[in-house]
Amino acid sequence: MTGRLILAALALLCFGLALRKGRPAGLRALRETRDNLVRIMPMMLVAMPMATFLAELVPADVASGWLGPESGLTGLVVASFAGGLIPGGPYASFPLVLTFLKAGAGPAQMVALITGWAVLAFHRVVMWEIPVLGARFAVVRTISSLALPLLAGLIAEALMPLFPHLLAGMR
Amino acid sequence: MLALARRHSTLLALSAITLVAVVLVRVLKGPDAVAHAWGGSVDLVIGILPSMLMGMLMAGSLRQLVPTGALAKWMGAESGWKGLVIASAVGIATPGGPMAAFPMVLVLSGAGADIGCVISFIVCWGLNGFNRILVWEVPLLGPDFALLRFLSGLPMGFIAGWISRRVPLRWAPPESLPR
Repeated sequence: MTGRLILAALALLCFGLALRKGRPAGLRALRETRDNLVRIMPMMLVAMPMATFLAELVPADVASGWLGPESGLTGLVVASFAGGLIPGGPYASFPLVLTFLKAGAGPAQMVALITGWAVLAFHRVVMWEIPVLGARFAVVRTISSLALPLLAGLIAEALMPLFPHLLAGMR
Repeated sequence: MLALARRHSTLLALSAITLVAVVLVRVLKGPDAVAHAWGGSVDLVIGILPSMLMGMLMAGSLRQLVPTGALAKWMGAESGWKGLVIASAVGIATPGGPMAAFPMVLVLSGAGADIGCVISFIVCWGLNGFNRILVWEVPLLGPDFALLRFLSGLPMGFIAGWISRRVPLRWAPPESLPR
């Protein structure tokens, strides 16, 4: 709840700063907010049921076992590559991550999963990277990013003591 | 009709997956599980909508305040780690989906950015883009998790850029955007 209030306060502060730059900038900010909302709402209204219904289908031991907080290095590796296979934008991946977290997946494993989704993104390589930038770029980029999801998961594991209520708060 | 389907392909695909999931839950788990899942998604939508709206307002306002581009002259092959840091920051500041970000790679490299910097840029855009963090990650997964994720991801653009400068493969941007 406090997180929400902070976000709201920051949002209003930024909007205030945009308004101070002049009325046109403020109006542009509002127009972009509206466009974003119109674009995202339909996705969200379909993606949320998708996440909760898939959650009913995911066997409980996948989340808490394979990807659980105790799954260690194996869990991080599984999460990294599973993340790379998730297609689509944030409207697909984040509801899934929420579902996994609620089912008992470890936060560090989910950091690895999101990182895998964001930097490996096998579907994006095929749909965007190769057509726009060429296969060679995709190869260099993939080589450079291959270890990142695991690395991010390990960093998250190391940072976990700083976020003590994260494990308890997700249930 | 076909053009309409193509424009909304993501939405159609999501709808199809959802529909299949609903049917499977009904058949495998029974009507109680269906009711439980519906309740869960209604709570989810109601719960995150206000934060999402605030995230969008913040992202829209920040875009009026932070200029991107124009920084490419500090991203050349001789730019060292400073170039990678600047490229990472530009990646974080770049909103929008792949249709915006991949052409931006061409813009940056056309303006003199080297492979390390454009890789830093694209990795940071994908992983730590502020727009996505504000609109999706904070509202849905909570500020604590979002902060843990952001901190864990922060060095990644830098590392990817550093590695790519050592990959023995030359890359030159294609002449023009494919139609």
